Amino acid sequence: MKRLLARLHLTHPGHFVSGLTIWGTWFVAVYGGLSVACAVVPPDPGLGALTSINASLLIVSAITAACLVALSLGCFAAAREHVGRQHFNALVSAWLYAFSAVAVVFVALPIIGVPPCL
Amino acid sequence: MTTLNRQATPQDPDHLKGLHDDLQEVWGNPRGIRALTIVNHTTVGLRFMVTGMVFFLIGGILAMLIRTQIAMPDQNFMNPDIYNQVTTMHGTVMMFLFAIPMLEGLAIYMIPKMIGGRDLVCPRLSALGYFCYLFGGTILTFSIVLEMAPNSGWFMYTPLSSSEYSPGLGSDFWLLGITFVEISAVSAGVELVVSILRTRTQGMALHKMPIFAWYILAMALMIVVGFPPLILGSILLELERAVGMPFFDVAGGGDPLLWQHLFWLFGHPEVYIIFLPAAGVVSTLIPVFAGRPLVGYGWVVFAITVMGFISFGLWVHHMFTVGIPQLAQAFFSAASMLVAIPTAIQVFVWLATLWVGKPRFELPMLWIVGFLVIFVCGGLTGVMLALVPFNWQVHDTHFVVAHMHYVLVGGMLFPLMAGLYYWLPLFSGRMPSETIGKWGFWLVFIGFNVTFLIMHWTGLLGMPRRIYTYDTGMGWDIFNLISSIGGFVMSAGFAVVVIDLLLHFRYGKPAKENPWRADTLEWANSLPPSPYNFVSLPKIETRHPLWDDPDLPRTIREGKHRLAVASHGRRELWGSDPLTGKLREVIHLPGNSWWPFCAALALAVVCVSLLIRWYPLAGIAVIVAGVFLLRWSWENGAHPRAAPDARVQEGDPPLHSRTLDGPGLWTMTTTMIANGAFFLSFLFGWFYLWTVSPEWSMPDTSPLSLFAMLAVGLLFAVGCTAMETCVHRLRQRNDLGLRLRLLVAALLGAVASMVLLWLILSADLAITETAHDAVLMVGLVYALFHVSLAALLSLLQALRVGYGYVSAEAPFEPVVVAYFWRYSVLMLWVLVGALAILPRVIGG
Repeated sequence: MKRLLARLHLTHPGHFVSGLTIWGTWFVAVYGGLSVACAVVPPDPGLGALTSINASLLIVSAITAACLVALSLGCFAAAREHVGRQHFNALVSAWLYAFSAVAVVFVALPIIGVPPCL
Repeated sequence: MTTLNRQATPQDPDHLKGLHDDLQEVWGNPRGIRALTIVNHTTVGLRFMVTGMVFFLIGGILAMLIRTQIAMPDQNFMNPDIYNQVTTMHGTVMMFLFAIPMLEGLAIYMIPKMIGGRDLVCPRLSALGYFCYLFGGTILTFSIVLEMAPNSGWFMYTPLSSSEYSPGLGSDFWLLGITFVEISAVSAGVELVVSILRTRTQGMALHKMPIFAWYILAMALMIVVGFPPLILGSILLELERAVGMPFFDVAGGGDPLLWQHLFWLFGHPEVYIIFLPAAGVVSTLIPVFAGRPLVGYGWVVFAITVMGFISFGLWVHHMFTVGIPQLAQAFFSAASMLVAIPTAIQVFVWLATLWVGKPRFELPMLWIVGFLVIFVCGGLTGVMLALVPFNWQVHDTHFVVAHMHYVLVGGMLFPLMAGLYYWLPLFSGRMPSETIGKWGFWLVFIGFNVTFLIMHWTGLLGMPRRIYTYDTGMGWDIFNLISSIGGFVMSAGFAVVVIDLLLHFRYGKPAKENPWRADTLEWANSLPPSPYNFVSLPKIETRHPLWDDPDLPRTIREGKHRLAVASHGRRELWGSDPLTGKLREVIHLPGNSWWPFCAALALAVVCVSLLIRWYPLAGIAVIVAGVFLLRWSWENGAHPRAAPDARVQEGDPPLHSRTLDGPGLWTMTTTMIANGAFFLSFLFGWFYLWTVSPEWSMPDTSPLSLFAMLAVGLLFAVGCTAMETCVHRLRQRNDLGLRLRLLVAALLGAVASMVLLWLILSADLAITETAHDAVLMVGLVYALFHVSLAALLSLLQALRVGYGYVSAEAPFEPVVVAYFWRYSVLMLWVLVGALAILPRVIGG
């Protein structure tokens, strides 16, 4: 894990945008996936939120949030190890990953209770 | 070429004067008709701002016409058609011709001065952008005089804006004029990104940048990504109107909701594109007037980044009533609420900075305080509108209009006014009038709130937006009257501001050096600045250069820092590392040029001839514009008008055209990001119609020959390999056979173009009958453009090798062209997959 985090160069400002890019990709995937699924295989409305679409979206969301949390923790650790420019980059990236994780969880919350295609 | 060692020393005043004279000679602006050739960022930025103000006044007059019409019930001041034209043009002028160009103008003017540069990295592009804006805006505004203005609302929803319901030229004026203006916006976006990343002065690492530069970087990147969807939408709608290609027509397999998606994919980020630079003004001014650094610089960078991304995930909250599934609405509702977090972080940072500082409430601060009050209110109603049930209730009512004005006027206009007053001494060398300025502020502030606070209530009482009159029994009479009175009070306030500005340039008190005791580098310029900004370029390793070294303006002026030489005749600035600010090259910029003006003029002819449907002239003008642009690109690198002599001062890095990673490569990369956003929008349209459009029909057999598509892809990929070989060998400083390889690449590109052209002609696409064939045609023409342009650029490179402009010593340009090839290959193969292979695999 440490080797992987080292290879990610978590003090590089590219991480300013990677967390939110992951969020954006996830957002497009769940919105697009939902739209396509509703157009191609709409579930029985009587099932409510207990559908395979909701389950799939939740799994994707949980995996995405977990990745973002891991990256956030990695950046916090990197920030502690550096000073100056690299500390700044890692710390801002850490909070951006953390925000992205929160954003995934917050936006995904309705998947638990709202039927997908109504 | 004369000596390269004339560097000023304080002991040598004659030498210093000589240095200033040299710089003036190299950077100076011509007068008279040749003023059209000026490319300098200071002049171009001012031109943007002055033109933006003129459009603001036009938009303001239109607003007053609207308020006059609906001040009382049952009025016939305007007929419904004229009223629709006026409301459409008010929104269009304010959003497209005032807000964005004005802020871009401010950024174009300010960024090089703040980051220690002498100009933006593509000055001719700045000039082209300005003329496109001027001509496009003039063409669009002229439609009002002709009483042929667009009348479908500023977001031009289809089918209202389609030829069936808007048969006149109004929609065409909008679509062509706005697309023309957007060339300007994207141009500015591209060069601001590259300038901020690559031309900061020595030592200015990313985390030491002025906070304003962070805001502009985010804004510029958002323009680069956010504008292409609307450019695509405008092209598709104009094609539908002019040619009959049914992209938005349900009967032909299109879908009007595609327009809404494309428009709001641009439209919602645009709100933040407008807000971010204005917030940058606030974050710049508050520390100055609080007399202490911004509390939480890192948090502001965090907030800017979050806003830049999240704003692209909100577009559907403008479409909550169109029938999207509830779960999808919930996604966008939640994302819309999230944007409150970065906004609140900035508000708390500003309040904390004021709290711990010692604020001086001078004129600019008055506008900042006005901003804080109004914008917070607008933000709160924004969170209300993010909630789906409430949004449904107030959809298309005056509540939305009031919210939008609180956010846009509060969030953009008030900070802009603060910034204008703050930077007035820089523009004019004079101080603003506190007395007249305060009158202007209070009239605008009171008038604004009287107009738009009341408008929330008319909206909650159910008054729809854009109705040209109403019955007296609706209960809206008194509120509308008060709103209109408020509107005129606000106008009086702006009249006072305009008078103040006019008097200022004649009677304003001369400003002393750094009059507000600011910390940022723009105040190290002379007041007003010289065309070259800085005599010498200092090393900056702090966020507050003028607070840490108040003597900096003098030492810069006396040429005590580096790059204080101009006797070589080149316009020079540093090219620095985007992360660390370490020096990498000396960037040499082109001087004044007719090409931007000529190219913009030719594009204006294209615009007008498309408008009047005189297509042969449009075709000729496109070719002329292309010739101008290619001639412009010819005067680069080692060309006699650019930098034939590569000598630099001892210890300085090499000229960028003699390296393999100059700013041109970054410009191409950023342009390809915009291009990629356009292409992704196209793919979105293709898959959206395929999946969602009710009457979409996929033919049983694809009209595109798979063999021909694969042949084009392969030919072009081999051509790209030839280009890559050129670059690989140039990296090893080997230019043996360079010309031949470039010619091979050009030949392969040309053959691929011809095969693609044959494919288009032989496919027999029914482009006016089905959206499917219409989309295919757009995709193929897009590919043809890229393949042909890549071949042409390689051919020009081969010619330049012959002239000696490209070689192992000047290896830069093939690297840039190869990047374009790479993008085109990728795009081409994605297109082969999406248009030719996927339909065969999945079917209808």
